[in-house]
Amino acid sequence: MSPGFLLTSAFAAASASLVVGARYSRTWLALVVCAAAATLAAAFRVLLGTTDWEWRSNFAIGGEAAHLRLDGVSAVFLVLLCVVAAAGAVYGREYWSDAREPGSAPRGRIAWSAMVLNMGLALLCSNGLHFLVAWELFTLSAYFLIRLDDRRRPARSAAWLYLAASHVASLCLFAFFGVLAARTGSWDLGPMLEHAELAPLFWLVLLGFGVKAGFFPLHVWLPSAHSNAPSHVSGILSGVAIKMGIYGIVRFSGWLVVPPGAGWVVLGLGAGSALVGITFAFAQNDLKRLLAYCSVEHVGVILIGVGGALLAVAHDNAAWGRLALAGALLHVWNHGAFKALLFFCSGSVVHATGTREMSRLGGLWRAMPWTATLFALAAIAVAGLPPLNGFVSEWLLYLGLFDAAALRSAAAWAVLPVAIVLAMAGALALATFVKAGTIVFFGAPRTQVARHAHECGPLMRGPMLVLAGACIALALAPAVLWPALARAVGAWNPAWIGAEPPAALDRLGWTHVVLAGVAVLVALVLVRRVRANGTRRGPTWDCGFAEPTPRMQYTSGAFAGIVGGWSAWLLRTESRYRRPRGAFPARSERVERVPEMVLEHVLAPTGGALVRVALAARKLQHGRLQAYILYLVLGLAGVALIVYFGGAP
Amino acid sequence: MNVLLDVLLRAVVWLALAPLLPGIITKTKAWVAGRRGPPVLQLSYDLARLWRKGVVLSTLVSPGFVIGPAVAWVAVFGAALLLPLGALGTGLGFEGDVLLFVYLLALARFCTAWAAMETGSAFEGMGAAREVSYAVLSEAAIIAAVLALCVQSGSTSLVAMLTPAAGAGAVLLAAGLFVVLLAENCRVPFDDPNTHLELTMIHEVMVLDHSGPPLAVILHGASVKLLLFAVFLTEAVLPMGSLTPLAATGALAASVLVVTLATGMTESLLARFAFRRVPLLLTVGFLLCLFALLFAWRGGPA
Repeated sequence: MSPGFLLTSAFAAASASLVVGARYSRTWLALVVCAAAATLAAAFRVLLGTTDWEWRSNFAIGGEAAHLRLDGVSAVFLVLLCVVAAAGAVYGREYWSDAREPGSAPRGRIAWSAMVLNMGLALLCSNGLHFLVAWELFTLSAYFLIRLDDRRRPARSAAWLYLAASHVASLCLFAFFGVLAARTGSWDLGPMLEHAELAPLFWLVLLGFGVKAGFFPLHVWLPSAHSNAPSHVSGILSGVAIKMGIYGIVRFSGWLVVPPGAGWVVLGLGAGSALVGITFAFAQNDLKRLLAYCSVEHVGVILIGVGGALLAVAHDNAAWGRLALAGALLHVWNHGAFKALLFFCSGSVVHATGTREMSRLGGLWRAMPWTATLFALAAIAVAGLPPLNGFVSEWLLYLGLFDAAALRSAAAWAVLPVAIVLAMAGALALATFVKAGTIVFFGAPRTQVARHAHECGPLMRGPMLVLAGACIALALAPAVLWPALARAVGAWNPAWIGAEPPAALDRLGWTHVVLAGVAVLVALVLVRRVRANGTRRGPTWDCGFAEPTPRMQYTSGAFAGIVGGWSAWLLRTESRYRRPRGAFPARSERVERVPEMVLEHVLAPTGGALVRVALAARKLQHGRLQAYILYLVLGLAGVALIVYFGGAP
Repeated sequence: MNVLLDVLLRAVVWLALAPLLPGIITKTKAWVAGRRGPPVLQLSYDLARLWRKGVVLSTLVSPGFVIGPAVAWVAVFGAALLLPLGALGTGLGFEGDVLLFVYLLALARFCTAWAAMETGSAFEGMGAAREVSYAVLSEAAIIAAVLALCVQSGSTSLVAMLTPAAGAGAVLLAAGLFVVLLAENCRVPFDDPNTHLELTMIHEVMVLDHSGPPLAVILHGASVKLLLFAVFLTEAVLPMGSLTPLAATGALAASVLVVTLATGMTESLLARFAFRRVPLLLTVGFLLCLFALLFAWRGGPA
């Protein structure tokens, strides 16, 4: 079946799901999954084949002929979209079911269809006008998904923040596409490398798509939106929606001439975003906020790859540029898989306990063994540790950076600090996920809700298992993926077509297989040995402390305390501490909150100052006619003075 | 077949020799203090005894508490197998294996910290938090050192990186890596392996609840890690490539012994640092590696 036929049927199914979604949830699910499967098939046909798919309509929509194009770059993102959209739809059927949420579930299904459909269209559209329409519709449907739970105030304000941030970004995109169309004389998109004068437009691209991608410091909307949305929505937002921003940056940095400093800027933004994002993530006490900040880190990691590739183009070093870009694109897939899995796991926790606050959880593994195991797996993946998929893409990225350093090219001035920053971010990611995984799932339950948790049902578990399977497959057979990555790299820069797979990639895959095998074997031997020697169960020894209570366990705030101290200048943690007083203290508490630094310490004061200036200026408008006449006279006098003294040359 | 034999031989060397190092360090310390000290093979005796012992498990822990140490051991052992051993070159090496080396050590840290946190003990939580937080600095130092070797040799595979001499920055690199060795292996002045009930320790506190075979696996893994850092330090500094295989093996063995004795002497002559100075010392280690990197960058042929 040709990609055209597959995509047409997927479009038909997705549109039909929009119509039937409100009433017939089962039909809706079937249609969404079918549409995803058909699109997936089309994307893989293009990725593994040699030709792009392109289609121009002979009729006009909104004054422009439709122009769709599926090439290597868009296919990579389309694959991710299909997998997460289908998994999230199945997951949402149990997580946000009609029975539990009769008010918002039908609305949620329609918004889901609309968002997925428009993301797909945005990936395919090769016409600026249509791209903008699809992009705007995707942004709006995401808004409705974020405020699905609109009885809660935080969800409503998070959605507003998202909408405001997205429209600042949209403004940049309107300007970008408008100028592009005016300069090239057509809304049609495609490689425009002959227009060297368009290079400054790249900054608009970076700003416009950067807000959606959510790198630091444009991430202000991201933590609250991702944490307050229902978890299946958080999964697709973090897994796919922010990747749409990356798509925009990758797409237009490939199609346009970029300004000379672009590689340095993108690399710097990526490194900063990685380190700052993960520092904030480590300090969070809210499980989903932690995951959201971790997405800021991973967007940074992806940008490091893109920036490296831009730098390599500028310095004409194809070999390591290819590796960096391939690493970035593979990280798009990897992050999509494990971050969606992590959000689904956290959704399962919220479903079972009703709280995201880590200090209220603990000991969930007994009641939720599946969720705990899958979270542990995803934690290893997200920390970028072998033998899982996060390591494969970070390895490719590192290899690109190291090769650049080994060449001692001029680019290495940027590459050396970035590699060190990446290593520190990796170590912090490890710390973050040790904390998140063990505080939530291990130890003793800290509250009653944690004690009475329950495992999620098969419809939630199934998609989680599929995503976990994807993580494992991506880790064990990276060499199989190389043709797809090489194709995307070739679509980005035609000069880099036909990249040979690095010989080591195959070795890495085999090493992963052997490592996983040996680890399982040794674990089995050790478990058998422990059984054979006999075990006794007792309370945690804790250096002989006699009466431990669950409240005496290490908390998430305490765990992050050391790094929190190092980065206090950045985090600006607010804490409220009521000390125990007197001989019989009634109550004492310590509450810590990590504010969204850019939002609360930069944007809010700036916005407040602007409002104050505006209010002051408003005093000029008071409705007294005589004063207005005075303004007129003064204005006229001013103009006359300028004319008189400015004079003719 | 040859590769397999090579790997097997190296595995035997690593697994058998590693437990000697902590013994040598203890012996050195005893000698400086004028005591006789336990035999060098004490750790091996302990391991054999622990392997036969029963296990006390906390009621809170999951099977991950036993699996964690196993995976950590495999990770450290895997990282060790990536290193060449003098005449025994590595048969497993590939371009970029140096990153696998660094990240396998991280995997071991992840598993140890995870298993420690499973017990729900505040004590072990404290140790795990310290371990993962200080690792941020030591990871930066290791990557800087590795980058220095990479720039020096123009390669990203461990075998090629560790063959040439480290050039002008060798002394800096050795000092930096020695600091990292002390920190990562929980030696004085970062940590005191002799204490068990101190609030200032990092690594020891994480294994408080382990017993029997899992504890044996952890202790053996820790000794392999010590040997691994000693070998890495030695090979990073010495020009292994310019020696004959026999001389290289001899030089390697001698310098590992020197590093071990130096660790023992450090432990004898220094007290453990106040806790807030630990990050400072680690930062110094990082800066030493960074300067080695700059030396490698500025000096040497392109």
